[in-house]
Amino acid sequence: MNALSLALQLVGGLALAPLLPGLVQYWKARLQGRRGPTPLQPYRELRRLWGKSSVDVEGAGIVYRLAPAVTAASLVLAVLIVPVASGAPSLGAGRDALALLGVLALGRFAVTAASWDVANGFALQGASRDLTIAIFTDATFVLSVAVAALVAHTTNLATIVAGTAGSAVWSSPSLALGAVAFLLVVVAETGRQPIDNPDTHLELTMIHEGPLLEYAGRDLALLQWSAAARHWVVLVLAAQIFLPHTPGVWAQLAALPVRLAILCAGLALLETFTAKIRILLAPRLLAVGAAAALLGVVSWLVQIT
Amino acid sequence: MTARLQPVAAAAIGVFGFSMLATGTTLGSGFTGAFTPRFGVDGLTAFFLGVLGLVTAPTLAFATRYLEPGRRGRITSVLTGVFVLVLAEVVCARDPLTFLAGWELMTLLPAAIILVSRSDDEARRTVFLYLAITHLAGAFTWVAVLLAAHAGALDSTGAVAQGSGLQIAIALTALVGMGTKAGVMPMHSWLPRAHPIAPAPVSALMSGVMIKVAIYGLVRVLVDWLGPLPLSVGILVLALGALSAVGGVVYALFQHDLKRLLAFHSIENIGIIVLGLGACLVLRSRGDETWAAIALAAALLHTLNHAVFKALLFLGAGAFERATGTVEIDRLGGLLRRLPWTGGAFLVGSLAIAGLPPFNGFASEWVTLQALLHVPAAGHLGDGVAGALALAALAATAALAVLCFVKVTGLVLLGPPRSEAVAAATERPLPMRAAVVSLAGACVVLGVAPGLLLGSLVSLAPWPAALPTAIGLHLPGTGSLPTLGIALVLVAVTGVLVVARGRRAAAPAPTWASGQLVEPSLLWTSAGFTKPLRLVLAGVLRPERTIEVRATRGVVQEVAYSGRVPQHLDEQLLAPAVRVALRGAAHARRLQTGHLGTYVAYLIALVLVLLTAAKVGLIG
Repeated sequence: MNALSLALQLVGGLALAPLLPGLVQYWKARLQGRRGPTPLQPYRELRRLWGKSSVDVEGAGIVYRLAPAVTAASLVLAVLIVPVASGAPSLGAGRDALALLGVLALGRFAVTAASWDVANGFALQGASRDLTIAIFTDATFVLSVAVAALVAHTTNLATIVAGTAGSAVWSSPSLALGAVAFLLVVVAETGRQPIDNPDTHLELTMIHEGPLLEYAGRDLALLQWSAAARHWVVLVLAAQIFLPHTPGVWAQLAALPVRLAILCAGLALLETFTAKIRILLAPRLLAVGAAAALLGVVSWLVQIT
Repeated sequence: MTARLQPVAAAAIGVFGFSMLATGTTLGSGFTGAFTPRFGVDGLTAFFLGVLGLVTAPTLAFATRYLEPGRRGRITSVLTGVFVLVLAEVVCARDPLTFLAGWELMTLLPAAIILVSRSDDEARRTVFLYLAITHLAGAFTWVAVLLAAHAGALDSTGAVAQGSGLQIAIALTALVGMGTKAGVMPMHSWLPRAHPIAPAPVSALMSGVMIKVAIYGLVRVLVDWLGPLPLSVGILVLALGALSAVGGVVYALFQHDLKRLLAFHSIENIGIIVLGLGACLVLRSRGDETWAAIALAAALLHTLNHAVFKALLFLGAGAFERATGTVEIDRLGGLLRRLPWTGGAFLVGSLAIAGLPPFNGFASEWVTLQALLHVPAAGHLGDGVAGALALAALAATAALAVLCFVKVTGLVLLGPPRSEAVAAATERPLPMRAAVVSLAGACVVLGVAPGLLLGSLVSLAPWPAALPTAIGLHLPGTGSLPTLGIALVLVAVTGVLVVARGRRAAAPAPTWASGQLVEPSLLWTSAGFTKPLRLVLAGVLRPERTIEVRATRGVVQEVAYSGRVPQHLDEQLLAPAVRVALRGAAHARRLQTGHLGTYVAYLIALVLVLLTAAKVGLIG
């Protein structure tokens, strides 16, 4: 059982991650009445990019060259930290929820520093927006994870998955409020509408896509895989902590693909029915999420006192 | 010659401190309320001596080549050495008199050093403001220490009753007095003014060690002497920490002078330390002694980490200043290529202060986050909400620090050089390089193996607490942070991916700017990069901007733009206080007529008043 969750975590995080944005795009096309690409489209793009040569930017240095690898490494680390089920053994990187904060920030730092290195205005515009929104995402992330950690009495993610299992924990509204907040974290981290538009190809409106402008070939492949892995990290957290789940490890493992598909469909639905909001309003939206999570903490405190 | 011996002596202090901490032995006498000079070293003192030595040795080595060889340089060097000794004296003092004397000298010496190295009007005004603020606040330190000595709290813990008015009075006066010296908001106004104008090694000592000695004072009073404090004091400390952390980093973002920006980051990091201290006080008053000790250890670990990376960044700024002639961040650029050693070390310091793995800031911020999460986990409504808010504030602070330091890295180290002088900059001489590189090494070591230290820091709490020693951070009730494993994964995966990527670059091409040529005027500035945040926080920050358009006969000739983010605390709090003080001083000056007769009259009046008081029985 441990071996299976270990395998699912590694294979799932590293190899199946690109399927998630593929699924979202597929569902979205269907909902909009188009046939759209197959869910396997991200793999085709990765293969195409891996075979292409990349064009370095004139005057760019080591930071530009290392950034894709560092970003991908930070996401590999995040994949190792996030468990797929409650019994999943640690993979040498710990299992701590709050460690994810710094690990995900490392990727953002690397990509933004690379934008400074190539001095590309559009890349910096996207990066500065991304980092500004990240301030509010991080606060919301920490508060929503705090709700789950308080309910489960630990920040060990594998134990949190066990501690939030069953129906008893849903008798108080704290976890539900944490789930509302985490939904906004999912939207912000995956760069989806209403906070970012992954389909945009206009430089002035880009957030996550902006810093990727100067990359091509294998570098871009690494960065696109990192974006997919970010989907994996937050969606697995959402599926195994903030959706109601059973205590049994086998059931958790079996249900994970279904839950991920449902969450992808949910994101597609959200993208279909909402438009991108003004960038300056995104922090307000996330602040609402933070307030919901804070209410979750309060309701947990009220319940136990 | 003496200047070369200084770093060796400082290193000896550091080795002595850390070995005392590791063995857990004490030396000399314990604290006493009596007014006879005594010195001693216990665990807490040993730790701060270790911090002092670790930061001071490279800083003094750096100073040997940074300071000009002339008379000014020699005087500065001697005063810097004395300053280090005074800092060591404050943490070793074991009676109120020695402690307070050292405390005052610690304030005066940097002022003297600044005045020796710069004698322009602006520097003199700043030094005056610095002395005025720190001395007015210093009075509160005197009140706190003397009250504690009078109550016998120095001789035996538990001398002051828990929850008594005296205990709260001592705690509050210590918070004001020592908090000002540490640069806690809203008593921080002197810090971003005084730190940038000192010579770089002295800035490094002020930010790296001096404000940490103020933290030592706070820990001594709040944790050691006073015993368990009422909950309200703990929550107040949490609030002050959150305000300093968020306020410090937000204002740092809008600074254009690299050293001033670093000074504001000191306020932020002091805020993070104070958050850990606040969590310790709250958890202690709730009776969770294990986590109270871990929270204290978190604050102390961040004290050490901040000392290391802030000294590194200030020394780096000094090296850049010597190499290019400016610390204006919008006028630097491309220094990583021109000064690979100094620039590389500066990059490590930036990653560390931004709280990113695998460096030391990440480890201590993680422990602080865990400590704050345990405040609501204790299960009480009021302090639980305060703890959750502090947790969110710390997470936002970390993200803001990433935003700020990626900007600093980008503007200073990366991209094309933004002036001729920067393009011609060259690497600094060996002692300066070695100083910053060794501090960067300390950032890596403390980031990879913080657990080796955390165990001894936990046992510094004046109540029994222990944590098994390990390389990583394995705390009860967490998913643990195996820092070594994290560092290995990051390095190994990055290495594999770099090899896999290979060298398949086609001919380089210019960066994409919608088909235009990339000109220096198109380069992004600090103000541009922080604009989204400035707009988002406009309601709080109230940025000011003016745009002047000069047009002749309808044709625009020139557009001038200027913008600034005003310091509201300074303008609403400090400026009125200064006005009132100056008005009071103007009135007081009338007493000084300069006529001998008036002074004789004052004396006679005084004698009469005293005689009357004695007659009535008020005195004597």
